[in-house]
Order: sequence, then structure tokens, then C-alpha cells
Amino acid sequence: MDLPSNKWIVHLLVCCFVVGVNCNSVDKKIYVKLNYTVSCVRLLNATHQIGCQSSLSGNVGVLHVLESEDNLDWVLSSGPNPPYMVILESPLFTRSVMMKLKSGSSRVAGVAVVAPNTNPAGAFSPHTTCPNENSGVYSETYDPAMANCNKTVWNPLGNGLSYEEFDFPIFSLKDDNDTQVIRQCYLDHNRAVNGSRPRYPLCAMQLYSLMFAVTDTATCMRRNDINLSINPEMVCDPLGDYNVWASTRPLNNTAKGHKMWESAVVAAARLDSRSFFFDIAPGAQSGVSGFVALLAAAHALRDVVQEAPPNRTILYTFFQGETFDYIGSSRMVYDMENNQFAVDLDNIHSVLEVGQVGLRNDSKLWLHTDPVSRRNDSVNKEVEDLIANLRLAATNLSVTPEVPTASQPLPPSSFQRFLRARPIPGVVLEDHQSAFTSRFYESMYDNAEYLNVSYPPNLTPEEQLRFVTESAKALTEVATLVARALYRQAGGAETQLVNINADSQTVTQMLYGFLVRTNNSWFQQLIPSDFMSHLTNRPPNLYVGAVQQSSEPTVLVQFLMANLTGSTVNVTQENCQNQREDENDKESRHMYIYMWVQGAVPPNSTQRQGFCVRSTARLSKAVSPAFDLREFTSKDYSTWTESRWKPISGRIFLVASHELEMLTLGVGVGVLLTSLLLTYVISAKADILFSSGREPTNATY
Amino acid sequence: MFLFFFWFCTETCSDSLPQQDPLRFVMNLERLPNEEKLCLCRKYYLAGFALLPFLWLVNVVWFFREAFVKPAYTEQSQIKTYVKRSGMGLLFWVAVLTTWITIFQHFRAEWGAMGDYLSFTIPLGIP
Repeated sequence: MDLPSNKWIVHLLVCCFVVGVNCNSVDKKIYVKLNYTVSCVRLLNATHQIGCQSSLSGNVGVLHVLESEDNLDWVLSSGPNPPYMVILESPLFTRSVMMKLKSGSSRVAGVAVVAPNTNPAGAFSPHTTCPNENSGVYSETYDPAMANCNKTVWNPLGNGLSYEEFDFPIFSLKDDNDTQVIRQCYLDHNRAVNGSRPRYPLCAMQLYSLMFAVTDTATCMRRNDINLSINPEMVCDPLGDYNVWASTRPLNNTAKGHKMWESAVVAAARLDSRSFFFDIAPGAQSGVSGFVALLAAAHALRDVVQEAPPNRTILYTFFQGETFDYIGSSRMVYDMENNQFAVDLDNIHSVLEVGQVGLRNDSKLWLHTDPVSRRNDSVNKEVEDLIANLRLAATNLSVTPEVPTASQPLPPSSFQRFLRARPIPGVVLEDHQSAFTSRFYESMYDNAEYLNVSYPPNLTPEEQLRFVTESAKALTEVATLVARALYRQAGGAETQLVNINADSQTVTQMLYGFLVRTNNSWFQQLIPSDFMSHLTNRPPNLYVGAVQQSSEPTVLVQFLMANLTGSTVNVTQENCQNQREDENDKESRHMYIYMWVQGAVPPNSTQRQGFCVRSTARLSKAVSPAFDLREFTSKDYSTWTESRWKPISGRIFLVASHELEMLTLGVGVGVLLTSLLLTYVISAKADILFSSGREPTNATY
Repeated sequence: MFLFFFWFCTETCSDSLPQQDPLRFVMNLERLPNEEKLCLCRKYYLAGFALLPFLWLVNVVWFFREAFVKPAYTEQSQIKTYVKRSGMGLLFWVAVLTTWITIFQHFRAEWGAMGDYLSFTIPLGIP
């Protein structure tokens, strides 16, 4: 008896399994999921919302591959099957096309941009022409003639697409097999031959990117706080992360505020960038070139500031979130004003900022200064001294510092936030005299290729890491200049300058790490083991992101800074992780940061040899003060927030004609009604229909 | 509140009838004696004043046949009054709620903060 029943159960299970598998494959037969989907997301500030969003159930549209701008007519008026999902090749991803699509958005379900594998020949910057127009120092009150980029338009190529609001989703697709499937689907089903209507079934695409937040930051922050509902959902988060800072002399970080007898030269760079799509922000020229130069300069200064310490402290600062109205620098200045930072503004002697320095065509480096604060004689003298130091530092280097016309205002830079607080002398180093050299400012093409970080073919990743590129050599010169100028500016002896040289090997490795892949053997040595999982085979995304998510470049820069400027100390792993030199040490934590990094794998061994690095490389909050002050309509501080969203995804499938859909529905409803009617009739006439069977039971009842 | 529920659920309608299950009003209305019907109808009518328009709705639906269709009996005129009043109250509520919901849905976004504070769930992704 047992055996056959077991057999039945097995049969049943197999059947269930087969049914389950079939269900799965039906889904797979209908839909092709897109693997690589990078979306444009919604951001909000005090007054506006920007970015894209889909409807609750995703936007569905018939695919249309746009061949030229004239072809838009099909999408916007003549095509018979709206709404359309428009596939754009990147040369067509321009302001004029996008604005036409935006104005005809009732016929547009969404846009997918095919990102090319090589950079375009022309220019593309989705940023505004005047970056951070209203949050820099040049307001109407500071100098009306310089407000709103009146004197110099810094990013004349900017088309402002990143700051537009679209009510349909916009995705980026990699130019690979996925995209080929989409194109083929379009060619097979949707292409109108000789102007005739394409016949059903048509190829359609569905994009999901539902954004929760809406209107502006004040609205979404208020909705974050309303917790009436059963499962309250956060709708947006402030943009922000951490600044990285370090000093040549350890500063007591527990005792905040003014430090007696302390005078610091701030060496600044920015850490972040953005592009139209939130997930790709390589920022090679706008971010990486500057902070790599500063990291290399700090490295070059490591030994000399120990052996022949200058009078002043050099304060290295790497600001995060600068793209979004100077989040990092405005926060640090705010903290300095409110005695929340290790030093205050009185301790700041001068500022030297390294901006975009990756693309020097003619060996020139431009020293930008603020004409307004230089009207004051004492400030002007300090600035002149700083320029003189920079010129002195350039002796025997292939870099020539040049000064642009004296009346030209500062380019967008963190230093502007210091100037907003008080007239501090300072210089911003850039590779452009007036407008940016960069053709791809804050776009996805601002990548390794654009900085000419390229390697001879057939190199292994390890060889590529060590290979010194021409761009690395050029950047090394800049780093040496910065290092020497900082040393002089801090009061160091002129005789020491020849000993300060940035290392091109380090620079090329950093460029490789930040522009090609973070997962390389050098970065692996410099980080604690728990950070290993964050390393990837792609360049890091320099978009600052919401406060909750730690930004990868920030942490990497902190580890690099620690390793490049700190020293290895003989401390056990436990003490190192507890921020102390030995069990009784309670003071060192105020002055230093200790990191247990995993180190290299020694030859003929498999175990990494970790060690303890002692440095001053710390993190400080880079969240706009507007969120601490709860002034969500602030005009002084950044108010950018990022909406939360449902998982972003896309898929393609075939749709039947509207008539066929209606017919199917109609037949379904018809069958339902008929069966209801039938059931009613049968139950009403049950006594007749089933009389013979019922009689005996009736009798007993 | 509690007292109200207590009254609503336990008070029997007529002393003349033998005590039965207090929740018997879920039973078939046809099988109840007329004075019991009147008492029930009155109970629902009164209870409706406790901001419970649904009770009036139930009253109207339940007793409509008793009040207007059935051949006349002694308690019918009183049942009629209660049903009419319940119906009027119901209409009043419907009017008030419809107006308010229309206004609220239309102006919620415009009211800004006030609109959000008045909302129990705020829709995602729209103003």
C-alpha cells in the first residue's frame, strides 16, 4: 500500500514543480528585463524640483528609435500609437530635443538614452552656465557687477538639462547586447515602412522610477515628519556626506573653537561631481584632477613638514557636496563660526584651492583671485604674497602660473564660502583663464578618457596601475607646485623647496584608482579589511548622494590621506582600533586617528600583513546647516534633498492592439456573465433539474 | 463611548418579551413582533445621532419595506417617522461629507502645510 501512495506524492510534487517553472518562464517569455538601468532621479531645493519620475505603475510606451531631430514629428504629432518611449542616441540628447519632448509630454512615456562607449567629439554639459549661481560670494550686495556670472560665464557650454524637471522617466542604457535587443525589437515590429502604420503587435518598454518627494524641500521635509499613517514612509533625504580634513600639525579635535597661537593655511579641493544620471558621475576633470593633485601635494610634504616644520599649520580640506550649492564648505565655515570645528576663522591665515587642473593645454596654470576683497590693501598684500609664493614654487617646473585680468571674479569654488564669511586672502588654481576648458563639465563624459588617462593595449590591471601616464606626469607637476607653494605660504624655508617633489607613481596610481577601478592592489593595501567589499571594478560615483549613504570617494580619500601623510606606528590591532597607542593612553585620540589597514601580501605568503597608521585625516560632517537650523527655504545655505524612490527598473515586451485587448476583455466579461446567468438559472430550477435525485432526501426531511 | 455601546447592545426592546440573546437583532426582521421592530428602529435612529450616519443608512435600508410597503399596522406610523428622519439625517451627512471631500481633494495641495497635517496618508509622488 505504501509504495504506490508515495509514488503519487512524488508525481504530485513533480507536477507542482513543473507548474512553478512554467509560471516563471511565462514571465520570461513575455518580458525582457533591462540589466543596466541608470535613471535620472528627482532632487529638490528651496523652490524647485528637478529630475524625472514615472507614474505609480511605471510608464509604458511604444518604442521609437529617434533617428534625427526631424524624426521627432512622429513622436510628437504624426505617430499613430502614442505614447512613445523614445530611444535616443547620445548625439540627439540635446536641450532642443529634450525640451520638445518635455513640451509634448502627453505623447511621451519616457526616454532612454544610449550612452556611447567612447566620448563624443563635441561638447556636452548638462549643468547650468553659471554653476552655484546664488550660493557663492557674488551676490547683489557683494558686488552687483559680478553677480549672476555677469563678468564671466564659467560654463558657456552648459545646457541646463540637469536642472530641468521632466514628468516622464529618463534612463541611460549602455551600448551593448541589451540595447541591441531593443533596437532589433524596434526594427522588427515598430518601424513604419514607407509611411504606413506599423502593425500590431508592437514593441513597448516600461520604465519604473516612482519618486516619492514632490514640490520642494520644505514640503518633503514636512512630510518626513508627519507620522500619522500606519507605516510612515520617508519621502526625501538631505544631500550630504563628510568632508575629509587633515593637518600637518595635529590639532586637538575634542577642544573645538579658537586655538591660541595657531595659524593655518587651508589647502582645499572638492570631492564631488554629478551628471544627468545619478549613478554615473565620474567627475574626472571637475573633481578627481583637483583632489588627486592635493593628495599628491600632501604626500610630497609629509617628510619635509616633520624635518623642517614651517611656522604655520597646513590644513588640507576635501569638500563634499560642492556641486550642490557648496554643502561641504558652507558647513565647515558654519562650524568654524560656531566653534564646532578644531579651529575657527580667526585661525585661518589664507586659502589655496586646487580646482580643475587636469587639462592644461599650454602648461599654464591660472591663479584666480577675488577682486572685491583685494580692494582692501592688507588683503591685497597677502594675496600678492601668495601669488609670489606660487611663482617662486614654479621655478624649474614645467608649470607657469599666470594671473588672469584683475577684475575677473572667482570661478565657482569652495573659497567663495570662506569669502562670504570674511575677506580671507586666497587663490584658486585652475587650468582655465576665464571659461572652463572642460567640454564635459558635470556630465557622464567627464571620465578617464577625457583626461587622457589611457594605457597601451595588452597591459594587465597590475601593469596599468603602475604605468605612468602623460596626464599623471602633468598632474604631478601641479602637485609639486601646490606642495612647494603651501610650504612657502606656511612660512617654510626657501632652501627646502627643491626637496619637495610629488611622486608621479603615486599620482598615476591614484588616477587609476579613481578613474578606472577602485578595486586595485594598491587601494587594497591602504584600507581596513571591512571596506574591501566597497571596492569595485568601476570608477567610483562622485555624486554626493543622500546623507544616509556613505559616499565611496570620501572614505577612499580619507584612507589615502591617512596613508600618504600619516606614519606607521607599532601598535597592536586592538589598541589601534580603539584609537590609542597603549592600554593607558587616553590622550592620543584627541590628536590623531588610528587605522588598522590590511597591508600587502608579502611574497610566498597568503596572509596580508596589517599595520596601524597614525594620521590626522579626519571626517567632518558635510550636511548643509539649513537642515540643522531647519530653515528649508534658506537663501544662505544649500537646501538640496534627494527624493526616495521605489526600485528603479525597466523591461521590454510586445503589446497587442487596443482593439484586441478590448476584445479579450469583452470575451472575458461575457464568459463571466454567462456563467453567472447559468448558475442563477440552474439554482432557480434546481428542484426540476435535480428532482429525481432529491426525492428520497426530501422525504426524510 | 463605552456606556453608549453598552446601551446599544444590551438594552432589550420590550419587557413583555422573554429575555433572549441580546444580539438577536441580527435575526430575520420578519420574525420579530411589531413592537420589537418599532423599538429597534427607534434605537437605530437615536444611535445615529452619535455621529454614526451609517446606522441611519442601515435603518433606512432595513425598515424601508416595513415603513412604506407593508400593509398598515399600529406601530407603522412611528416607524415611518423614524425612517424618514434617519433618511434626512443620512442625506445631510452625505451632503456635508461630499462637499468636504470635494473641497479637500481639490485644495489639499494648495493648502500646503495645512493640507498635509489634515491628511492621514499622503500620496507619494504628487503634490
